[in-house]
Amino acid sequence: MGKLFRRYWQPVLHTDELPEDGCPPVRVKILSERLIAVRTPEGEYGLMDEFCAHRGVSMFFGRVENGGIRCPYHGWKYNADGQAIEVPSELNNSEFCKNVKLRSYPLVKVGDLLWAYLGEPKMQPPLPTWEFATVPSGQTFTSKRLQESNWLQALEGGIDSSHVTWLHGGGPTGAGLEADPLFAGAKGNQYNKGDVKPSFEVVENEGGLLIGARRNAEEDHYYWRVTPWVLPNFTLVPPRGDHPVHGHFWVPIDDENCWAWSFDYHPTRDLKEAEVAAMKAGAGVHSKNIPGTYRPEANKDNDYLINRDKQKTGELFSGVEGIAIQDSSLQESMGPTVDRTKERLVATDAGIIKARQKLRRAVEALRDHGTEPMGNVPEHQNIRSVAIVLPADQPFVEGIGDGFEARAGVRQTTV
Amino acid sequence: MTTPISVSACARAATAEEAAYRIDYPLAYARSTRVVAFDETAAKTVRSVSDGPWGKAQFYTTSDSGEELITLDGERRPMAMEIEHSDSVIMVATNSIVSNAAAAVGVACRERSIMTAGLLLLDAGALGGDALSALRPYARILLVPADEEDLFELLKGIRA
Ligand code: FES
Ligand SMILES: [Fe+2]
Repeated sequence: MGKLFRRYWQPVLHTDELPEDGCPPVRVKILSERLIAVRTPEGEYGLMDEFCAHRGVSMFFGRVENGGIRCPYHGWKYNADGQAIEVPSELNNSEFCKNVKLRSYPLVKVGDLLWAYLGEPKMQPPLPTWEFATVPSGQTFTSKRLQESNWLQALEGGIDSSHVTWLHGGGPTGAGLEADPLFAGAKGNQYNKGDVKPSFEVVENEGGLLIGARRNAEEDHYYWRVTPWVLPNFTLVPPRGDHPVHGHFWVPIDDENCWAWSFDYHPTRDLKEAEVAAMKAGAGVHSKNIPGTYRPEANKDNDYLINRDKQKTGELFSGVEGIAIQDSSLQESMGPTVDRTKERLVATDAGIIKARQKLRRAVEALRDHGTEPMGNVPEHQNIRSVAIVLPADQPFVEGIGDGFEARAGVRQTTV
Repeated sequence: MTTPISVSACARAATAEEAAYRIDYPLAYARSTRVVAFDETAAKTVRSVSDGPWGKAQFYTTSDSGEELITLDGERRPMAMEIEHSDSVIMVATNSIVSNAAAAVGVACRERSIMTAGLLLLDAGALGGDALSALRPYARILLVPADEEDLFELLKGIRA
């Protein structure tokens, strides 16, 4: 699976984390590798082995200088590609340098994020084109939080639509999602409430799967909420009314932790001030983090601040505030990597069963035949989630038409 | 109001080390799963999956009306009695689904609150709207399109 991940660009830092040329370096752990990200005074981004090639000290303590970063221990200096450019202790400085290089990976800015590619250089896919990262800056907002569980466990929560009416039920007015400023007031919410037992359709799609939740709407019509999953770790949530569209990237830090990147974007308008304020405060899919960190304030050490009174009255079905923490509290409670041999799945878990099968097939095809995985090219990334009302006898993929396609200047298909 | 974590409780969520010591007992099979093929092509797939390592799953085709389920050995049994004691019914069909059998089985499941899943196998060309309409109202979850491996994985997943 690690090899598969190395065929994709993955978000590793928010641009705010390396805010200006020559700023302090940042430690990055991804796919179990410890790396250091730098932004040189000349504005070059670099991502390299965290530890100095000399005696292995952390370059986090290094000094960013013109042309690169210098190790504080004995002064070896590396450029943004990890190439040693000065080794002061050696007499024939330049010759020695040539053979000293820290492993490094490309780090590029697309939208408000810095993306890394950790695979073989010659297999490098095109830069990411996800719509949330490529719309104008004012139309998008991204946050991240540490999730103390395996990435797949988190992803499986993202495509498991049948937990939504349960876990995310209740709310300050007893009205569930209606109470969240980032969801309230959409017509779709009424269909949601009118039919609490959705049916599901799991449809193959080029880059992954489309998971459609269908509820009864007006006579002979269904209300569809369609969640795309693109291999290996990208999901979108279906839109509601004119609210921004949101989604997630679940990026493995190691086997037992991942970054949950959560974004909200609107394809055709700027986010409103009130919306951004709500996102920053941890509404919607975002979280309120401990200042200066990406660890949520409600975390496993304080039982996610569960409120048993609200749980009892049903004001919050789970007793835990906020969609993001409702999800993480339960996914982390399963243990860092849940033992899937002890699961008892039911038929409505077919979407998860199918996603696992696709991941396994992709890993095997890559390993045995070098098959290029899906999801790392623009054709698979220009995708949208959809909410729509369709006649009962129509395949949803037909009815939605090009509503799945991310097209600049065209509004999302939403109810 | 938040309740302080009491000293007697496990104050932290599960760790990897703890997970390794989770109480280990064999999982029972699901109570009983019925797999029903609604046309000849689907029957081939069902037949080939049926010799898997299953616990209590049972495999059938149906009479045209759906009133009878036919075991793979050709034995005809009343449908209502066969599904009565199952907890999930998996409906398998292709574009060539013709009869009303799916509706009969679907209604019987709904009346008994039995979980249903539908697998539409793609035998040739694009998925037909008719095949979709025949299964969609009755399947709580539908895989479109599905293949033999999906049926196998689903049965394995639900410990059929
Ligand atoms: S350890 Fe870095 S220069 Fe010596
Ligand atoms: Fe959730």
